[in-house]
Amino acid sequence: MAGRGGNRSRLLLVILLVTSLFLITLDLRGVSLTKSSRSATQSFLAPIQKGVSSLFSPVGNFFSDVKNFGKTKAELTATKAENAKLKSQLVLSADMKGQLAKLRGALNLAGHGGYKVVSARVIGHGSASNFSQTLTIDAGTSDGITKDMTVLGGTGIVGVVKETTATSSVVELMSDPNFKIGVRIAGTQSIGVVLGQGDSHFVLQLLDPAGTIKVGDVLVSLGSDGNKPFVAGVPVGRVSAVNNSGASLTQEADVLGFENLNDLGVVTVVVAPPAHDPRDALVPTPEPTVTVYVTAPAAPAVAPSPGAGASNTPTPVPTPSATSVKKKAGK
Amino acid sequence: MSPLRALLSALFLFVVFTFQESAVARINFPIAGFSFYLAVLIALMALEESSGAVLMGFLGGIILDLAPSTGTPFGQWALVLTLIGYLIATNRESIGDFTSRPGAFVGFVSIASALTLASYLLAGTLLGENNGSISHNAVVILGNSLWTLIFAPLVLPLLAKLRSLSLTSRERI
Repeated sequence: MAGRGGNRSRLLLVILLVTSLFLITLDLRGVSLTKSSRSATQSFLAPIQKGVSSLFSPVGNFFSDVKNFGKTKAELTATKAENAKLKSQLVLSADMKGQLAKLRGALNLAGHGGYKVVSARVIGHGSASNFSQTLTIDAGTSDGITKDMTVLGGTGIVGVVKETTATSSVVELMSDPNFKIGVRIAGTQSIGVVLGQGDSHFVLQLLDPAGTIKVGDVLVSLGSDGNKPFVAGVPVGRVSAVNNSGASLTQEADVLGFENLNDLGVVTVVVAPPAHDPRDALVPTPEPTVTVYVTAPAAPAVAPSPGAGASNTPTPVPTPSATSVKKKAGK
Repeated sequence: MSPLRALLSALFLFVVFTFQESAVARINFPIAGFSFYLAVLIALMALEESSGAVLMGFLGGIILDLAPSTGTPFGQWALVLTLIGYLIATNRESIGDFTSRPGAFVGFVSIASALTLASYLLAGTLLGENNGSISHNAVVILGNSLWTLIFAPLVLPLLAKLRSLSLTSRERI
């Protein structure tokens, strides 16, 4: 009996493996059946994701807040004060306010660059069952979104539209290992490619052998032919470390993205490029830092008291305060 | 495994898949994400008889291939999970009956999830895909196993009970 059962299992295994390989072959040959089945699933899932999104948004944010607690500790104090002030005026939920801020940032970036955009809410993140980094947004072909459009956040590029349905789209995040974008070092003509690494770090490979990379260099998108998949001039990230190895043919550097890809609530999709390349106009300018120099008070001056000669006791004379305050706008 | 049972299992897996894609995927888990679907599928495969485990693996893989976020060829998950199902089926005797050993069951599901993800990566590499850095993938696999270890005890007893309720008297023998 065991032998018969084993044979049946093996026969079934062979049939199913052949079927799987057949499906893989069909997909790799570009048969639309497999692609349309994913598209149909996306159409089915999008309304459910939309519904569940509002329900699970606070839970999702809770985990991300716990994860980023160390990073945001400094901001917490300022936020607390602001929060107390806003509590009296609170009409919308905190979640809605966060999305509004993100939307404002995204629209500001798009407005400065002259991009025509469609804003969309994030309704799902990529499945943990696969290693691709994606998110699902609640706008699709009915909003003018098509495949290979650039997706922006509040401070820079987020990714590119990978799949679309009528009401939703799947965005491949720039952290995806398959993600590649042509970039230019702002202020120079050196060009390179930024590659996704699966996390918040990226690698820049400089194509220009004579070019130089410095820590702090800002990278902007180079733009693609026909502005698809990437429009030009969008901030991509900042160089955090330069890895110059004598053995490698190209110069490489570690890059930190401008956008926190774990905390995206609202994004914008560029549906039409600007009339002119914005060049470096969108490169984020650092917040001015106020530096306060405090010098120690000068030593008290000694002045002769009335009736000099009668006494040798020095009398301190008050001098104008020696404290000076300088304000400097620095990087 | 009867055709009706296979159909019901596929429907149940699709419901779990919908929950995974719309709700669980919405949560930003620290370290790495949690695949609730994979945990449920492996648990069901472990509870099935040998050919049932293989068929369940294939059906579960096809459903997982439907995920819109999947960037790999359609059928890759089916291939990997069919093989994992066969591995479970061939080691049925050494694995034994899990229903009376909940601790071992949780551990098994967690390890099998890691093995499945690693096999998926290997299959992707063989098909010429770019899978990213090894360290990041290791973190994803270990993170998923950790979350499976934490959440599986909440789900597996319920799953085992549901399955025993769905068995016909003939299948119970």
